[in-house]
Amino acid sequence: MSDLYKEHILDHYANPRNWGRLDSPDIAADADDPSCGDQVHLEIDLDSDGRVAQVAFEGEGCIISMASTSLFTEYIKGKTIAELEAISEEDVLRVLDAPVGSGRRRCALTPLRALQAGLRKYRRRAQGDD
Amino acid sequence: MLDVERIRRDFPILCRQVHGKPLVFLDSAASSQKPLQVLAAMEETYRQCYANVHRGVYTLSEEATCSYEEARDKVASFINARAREEIIFTRNTTESINLVAYTWGRTHIGPGDRILLTEMEHHSNIVPWQLLAQEKGAELVYLPITDEGFLDLDRLDDLLDERVKLVAFTMMSNVLGTIIPVKEIVEKAHQVGAIALVDGAQAVPHMPVDVQDLGCDFLAFSGHKMCGPTGIGVLYGREELLEEMPPFLGGGDMIRRVELDHSTWNDLPWKFEAGTPAIVEGIGLGAAVDYLTEIGMEAIAAHEQEVVAYAMERLSALPGLKIVGPPAEHRGGVIAFTFRNIHPHDLAHLLDLEGIAVRAGHHCAQPLHRRLGLVATTRASFYLYNTSEEADRLAEALEKVARIVGK
Repeated sequence: MSDLYKEHILDHYANPRNWGRLDSPDIAADADDPSCGDQVHLEIDLDSDGRVAQVAFEGEGCIISMASTSLFTEYIKGKTIAELEAISEEDVLRVLDAPVGSGRRRCALTPLRALQAGLRKYRRRAQGDD
Repeated sequence: MLDVERIRRDFPILCRQVHGKPLVFLDSAASSQKPLQVLAAMEETYRQCYANVHRGVYTLSEEATCSYEEARDKVASFINARAREEIIFTRNTTESINLVAYTWGRTHIGPGDRILLTEMEHHSNIVPWQLLAQEKGAELVYLPITDEGFLDLDRLDDLLDERVKLVAFTMMSNVLGTIIPVKEIVEKAHQVGAIALVDGAQAVPHMPVDVQDLGCDFLAFSGHKMCGPTGIGVLYGREELLEEMPPFLGGGDMIRRVELDHSTWNDLPWKFEAGTPAIVEGIGLGAAVDYLTEIGMEAIAAHEQEVVAYAMERLSALPGLKIVGPPAEHRGGVIAFTFRNIHPHDLAHLLDLEGIAVRAGHHCAQPLHRRLGLVATTRASFYLYNTSEEADRLAEALEKVARIVGK
């Protein structure tokens, strides 16, 4: 029926990786889209080198947004803050590895919006500490 | 009985393929397709007699003015208005409702006044009243719906008192499909001295609407949902109300005389039509009205009723499919549903790959979806050109979707 709903996408939707919550995450943020109801809560723990040690997410939404977030949580493990900040929309779509048309781009980019919101809060807190 | 095969030949777009499958267009509640007759009327205007309307003394302008004003006459007779002066051309239903909010509303609504809406309104019949209520210190009150998707008319008497100055409600829900007993509500509104505005966006394209019979004070609807072009809509208003309302937008065409510090207003309906109007779109709407009238609104309503009843039977037989709203005999050509746990976006996307165009989301009715406990639904909507075979195609495609992503 569709290349978009490939096996790996359906698998990540049915069995999301890194599902749940962390005890005291260093970075935490939500992305939601009231128009379609996609909701993602993303949490990240950093290790002593400032790299992503643990990721967790919970959410509700369409197959594309949930699969994309699940894949995204795998993708960002081990990255530094600078590397997280450098992640582009194209990177997210590459990780998803499915032909997302303009109509579903917003769904696929849900985890990136959550990450960017989390990074903004993280930076504000870091500046506050200075 | 409609000759649907003949009607379909009037809509060239229905012949196209999408993703290698014949198009099944089930989104007319959002915007309908356009017949050749409308396209031809618009093209003919641009090719043969296009010029700006009103005050032109040359032939082209006179011809364009004549066609544009003729369209107004056609619309007036289509909804059985008493006079052509009661037909104001706007951009769409939304602008028509805003016009009333900004002009009648600002002069008649004050602190403590109430505006009665219903839980099944489209955002375009909620937000203009919120803006007005915020500005004037007025209060919005909502007539609830029942779990079956009807208006809870038993609550109407409780909510209607002399504080209510305006009752604004849809004639047909764009999500539930419910057809509303307009006359009854209008009569009750009038009994407490309130005026009644009817959102006819979903009803006027699909069933006979007679403003004198309904007794409503205002009726708003859009051209693009009734086989006409985008960019043209209608506000019907009772002449006495329109006469005493201040203008909406200021500019050319709506004035009689402009001095440096003040102006006087043009006669109805032009008092409310500032600037160069959507001339060719107006003429296109006139052609759409001719087209629908020739087929007959009774026949169109009966056809949709038949297709919707069949589609509801087919869809409700699918395991895990839930239709929101009342039984077929109480609804127009709209079926909103949820299917298993499949998100409406995925569903609409997968159906598109089968050539089927449906809409997914909250359909500009977030408060209604919250009332239903749903974030979003998938909506199939039917019009005069849709067939029972297309309902079969929808049902078969849904079965296929369930096999692929069902969990």
